[in-house]
Amino acid sequence: MPDSQTPNSQQSALREPTAEQRRHWRLVVEGVIAKHGARPEQLLQILIEIQEELSWLPLKVVTDVAERLSISRARVEGVVGFYSFLHTRPNGRFRVLFSNNIIDRMLGSQTMMDEMCRKLWLQPGKMSEDGLVSIGPTSCTGMGDQGPALLVNGMTITKLTHQRVNLISELIRKDTPLAQWPQDLFAVDDNIQRKDILLNSALKPGDALRAALANGPDALMEEMKKSKLRGRGGAGFTTAQKWDFCRQAPVDEALGRVVVCNADEGEPGTFKDRVLLTRYADLVFEGMTLAAYAIGAKKGFLYLRGEYRYLLAPLQEVLSARRAQGLLGASILSQTGFDFDIEIHMGAGAYVCGEETALLESLEGKRGTPRIRPPFPVTHGYLGRPTSVNNVETLASACLIATQGGDAFAKIGTAQSSGTKLLSISGDCAQPGIYEFPFGATIAEVLEACGATDVQAVQMGGASGVTLAPSEFSRKMAFEDVPTAGAFMIFDSGRDMFEVASNFVHFFAHESCGFCTPCRVGTSLLTGYLDKLSNGYGSKPDLAEIDTLNRVLKSTSHCGLGQAAANPILDGLKKFRPAYEKRMLHQDFEPAFNLDAALERARQITGRDDAGAHILEEQA
Amino acid sequence: MPKLTIDGREIEVEAGTTIIQAAELLGIEIPRFCYHERLAIAGNCRMCLVEVEKMPKPVASCAMPINEGMVVKTNTPTVKNARQGVMEFLLLNHPLDCPICDQGGECDLQDQAMAYGKDHSRCDEQKRAVDKKNFGPLIETAMTRCIQCTRCVRFANEIAGAPELGALGRGEHMEITTYLNQALDSELSGNLIDLCPVGALTNKPASFTYRSWELKSTESVDAMDALGSAIRIDTRGNQVIRILPRVNDDVNEEWLSDRSRFACDGLSLQRLDKPYVRRDGKLAATTWSDALSVLAAKVKSSMTGRMAFIAGDHSDAETLVAAKDLAAAMGTTHLDCRQDGAALEAGLRASYLFNSTIAGIEHADALLIVGSNPRIEAAVFNARVRKRWLTGKLKVAVIGPKVDLTYKYEWLGDNPSILADIAAGTHPFAATLKAAANPALILGQGAVARTDGSAVLGLARKVADTTGMVKDGWNGFNVLHTAASRVGALDLGFVPGTGGKNVAEIVAAAGKGELDVLFLLGADEIDISGLGSTFVVYIGSHGDFGAHRADVVLPGAAYTEKNATFVNTEGRVQRTRLATFPPGEAKEDWKVVAAVAEALGKALPYTTLSQVRERLSAVNPVFAQIDMVAPASWGTFGQDGSVLPQPLTSTIKTFYAVDPISRSSKTMAQCQAAFGEDQCQRKTGTHG
Repeated sequence: MPDSQTPNSQQSALREPTAEQRRHWRLVVEGVIAKHGARPEQLLQILIEIQEELSWLPLKVVTDVAERLSISRARVEGVVGFYSFLHTRPNGRFRVLFSNNIIDRMLGSQTMMDEMCRKLWLQPGKMSEDGLVSIGPTSCTGMGDQGPALLVNGMTITKLTHQRVNLISELIRKDTPLAQWPQDLFAVDDNIQRKDILLNSALKPGDALRAALANGPDALMEEMKKSKLRGRGGAGFTTAQKWDFCRQAPVDEALGRVVVCNADEGEPGTFKDRVLLTRYADLVFEGMTLAAYAIGAKKGFLYLRGEYRYLLAPLQEVLSARRAQGLLGASILSQTGFDFDIEIHMGAGAYVCGEETALLESLEGKRGTPRIRPPFPVTHGYLGRPTSVNNVETLASACLIATQGGDAFAKIGTAQSSGTKLLSISGDCAQPGIYEFPFGATIAEVLEACGATDVQAVQMGGASGVTLAPSEFSRKMAFEDVPTAGAFMIFDSGRDMFEVASNFVHFFAHESCGFCTPCRVGTSLLTGYLDKLSNGYGSKPDLAEIDTLNRVLKSTSHCGLGQAAANPILDGLKKFRPAYEKRMLHQDFEPAFNLDAALERARQITGRDDAGAHILEEQA
Repeated sequence: MPKLTIDGREIEVEAGTTIIQAAELLGIEIPRFCYHERLAIAGNCRMCLVEVEKMPKPVASCAMPINEGMVVKTNTPTVKNARQGVMEFLLLNHPLDCPICDQGGECDLQDQAMAYGKDHSRCDEQKRAVDKKNFGPLIETAMTRCIQCTRCVRFANEIAGAPELGALGRGEHMEITTYLNQALDSELSGNLIDLCPVGALTNKPASFTYRSWELKSTESVDAMDALGSAIRIDTRGNQVIRILPRVNDDVNEEWLSDRSRFACDGLSLQRLDKPYVRRDGKLAATTWSDALSVLAAKVKSSMTGRMAFIAGDHSDAETLVAAKDLAAAMGTTHLDCRQDGAALEAGLRASYLFNSTIAGIEHADALLIVGSNPRIEAAVFNARVRKRWLTGKLKVAVIGPKVDLTYKYEWLGDNPSILADIAAGTHPFAATLKAAANPALILGQGAVARTDGSAVLGLARKVADTTGMVKDGWNGFNVLHTAASRVGALDLGFVPGTGGKNVAEIVAAAGKGELDVLFLLGADEIDISGLGSTFVVYIGSHGDFGAHRADVVLPGAAYTEKNATFVNTEGRVQRTRLATFPPGEAKEDWKVVAAVAEALGKALPYTTLSQVRERLSAVNPVFAQIDMVAPASWGTFGQDGSVLPQPLTSTIKTFYAVDPISRSSKTMAQCQAAFGEDQCQRKTGTHG
């Protein structure tokens, strides 16, 4: 397809809207705002829903929304610009985004994307001339166990094969509405491979709440303390302590405290929350209700990452069912004064929103920029109210503690890491999927369970975690040894660990919010160095530069994203240095370009190819 | 109060203080780009990192509140390394075009690079380039230089209440821009230039015309509105290049309105630099002695009752006292300073002062704005109201124009009779005022510059009396002036004496041929066309309406060209300083008046500035108290009587053109073109 026509078609879509279009836009805006109320904190939700209707957010709509919410247009535009799923330019009636995580790439996502582009006659990142479709990459969609995966208009399709790519291309070409696509395309497997206390839980909705209500909130807090449960999001903060800070924070009783379930599972290679929300949603919501009971919250939010849009409707159903059963709403289980309800907020493609303060900003309908701390969310969280932000798995585990007691929970795992941990295993193994292991299991045990042989490295905790070499496989999965948020990516000896690190570093640069200097500049600088190495122009001084860069990033960044961005290379340089060194043309100096290659034209012109017409490496 | 140690020195500070503030108290300077003491804390530049014992990594000192027993180190190798690292990152994408950057020489980035920069670049990566943005006619942008400190965004959102500035994109692609690249519509936009730590936002009208080190600075006081903001006049040779705010927490904090800042090109345009005499219907340049002799030939002592003086909005106190003395010597009582016809009376100072003081408005908890649009009448003051409103402790109501004031208010209507309802306690807002600890009222010139002005003034006084606005330690009755000269003139009693005519009567008398000579002291805002055949003498700085009508023009000095006294709206006596000399043969105005007096055979009894100032203090002792505001005693003023139903409005229609200087300014004309003629029509905004 001639490339030159694409901008024209974009312009045509940007042309002054017809009166009818304008009316339609206004109608959609009014409808969505009527549903949410003209509340600025709903801004992100409003924008997401409008875009679902219009497939993009025309600037006129941005203006309308700003006016209706009585906020500045710059704020609305700033929010649209921050989230990668929102756009102020048309991106086609079908927006196809291929998961770009290293695991999906290993499974062939790049080839699939190229193939689909070829079939639909377009270039990645550009909309087709007729405004039908655009195709591009996106950060990990949380389907590492069944990749390669893509999102089409926000809905997930996994296990891509040539046949599936063909079928999808055909459906798009025929402009078939998504609702009429074969439903089996959208099936997402759970792949639960190993169960322990959490996944074996036979708790019925309300069981944990009844147990807690029988003994009162103080007793629940006591059990939580005994359980030594630590946050499953990665940082491992003691949950009881967080709840305690929150329940003791002064509060305007009319507004109440807030419980937030962080289901912004954006860490590449992590998908355990997805499975919990698919199969164990009641456990998660019940955990939130327990938290609310313990800290005295009236309001709960589940912040669901945009990539899991397909889970929204089933989760809403679970919420409705729980309301019907008296497990949510006013006077829960007939306990007067125990009022609590849960609202689901969608994310829109911003990894940094997994950071709890960025998540709160996002919940308030703002750009997901991490806040400065102190004050901490437990005292000043959502709209300034005391807020407990907990991971999906943490909240689900709380149900076990409420029913079986803290001591029973603490017996499992290690002294400092109680209970079990869900691992999202993907990559080079026989059985990728969800594995629940008690804390303290060694890496080797896990590898054996999932049938991984010939392992070169394991990436624990996702892109921001640690890369483990075989010599470390005897280490334990535990907060005191190798902490993890749940990602467990396996790379066999055929994989290039440089590619892995490079993929992660590009990911961080793409997801950096741009707020603080080190992360904004440093992450993109890192990608520059890695690309240089990748192109074969690297040299030893570059590795030293990368090292310095990493130190600045680690010590000066505002939040975890910038601090972790350097991890993959730091580990890589330490443990897989040959993968870096083999890419170097020169070991000892830093050439701006390849001298010998630059002489090629001169050689062609002069017709020479003798030794004198070459600059050898030693000479250079 | 918690105690902490910084670099081995102990200090006790108030709880909630941040490390950077505590360090400042000790005189320890911590470098910063994003932190600004008058803006919300961002904590994003990471330049102010310090080491705190027991913390694993360096912390941003601007965002870290101090704790008891904290041990902070600001000068360790770790700190230096961290700052060097951040500095290098900042410089990586910075174009380093310092030789052609207007910020050069006064750039925070440049200065910090001296301390933390390296002598070579380790990177040969492509620099990030960002499109230039349109911020309007006042601010030049070079966004490639931007270091994303977001000071400008925070200023626009928090102080100016013009939230059309924001960050777009994320990561390396984050850019600061106005919505749809439109000009920033704020009367305070120039402050962004001062706040920008680099050369991303610079002074557009003055761009590429100076290097900061060539400029001579003179500390002075602004006269472009009645606030008397503290300013710094930067000159090169005899030209004012730019005007910047100085810190004065009592008046302008550290902000300046765009008119005060950018009208300065008007100081060298349309200037009267020689005396002129009208001959054969045309003004012709002449000499001082000729002009004065023409004047002396025309003006006779016998004209006692047929001679009048009108003072303009820029008249300084020295000129006013000299003119008043001249009028007395000539035996006329027709003199007035209220060009707009405001029904304010001289005498009882509390009746025409902004009694709560400007800074005092931050203690008010209920505010009634009457006949005023403070946003264009006193933009810097309006930001102070917004600041108080943002704390959530101020309720505002307006009787008058329904315009966007950058804060929310209850619009009660624009009929002055609402005041009567409030005074009578029948209007609901009366209860709000009565319930407030410190209720306040702002009476704009639009409320008193009407035929029923005196009745409106009387009603406002009654509102103050009946709602408890005046009590021990608090007087919430505030008159917001728009003319720099007005309070000083009222303090000097520059109003009609016994049997004297006011401005409207003077103009009417002139039109009817009942007046022989009219002296205009920079008075350009009266109805010039109705002066009939009266012999008009104009003493002033600019060839504006007054000079065009005059028969004799005597060139005076602008406020930047004289050591002169002005009294601001709250009654603060302040002095301007001479920054440049008056152009050509122009002279300080009081000397011109003195020369006229001498030519008329009524020489004034003072010849030096200090003698005039002694005379000022003799006429009113307030002139001896420089930079002070003394509480004024309360009394009864204004008239009883019914008010007209005509809506209350602001007297100022266009922020950018209110006086001869701003009307002469090309920059102000461009602003007017960009932002529209009539800002009073700007719709009520609901921007938080």
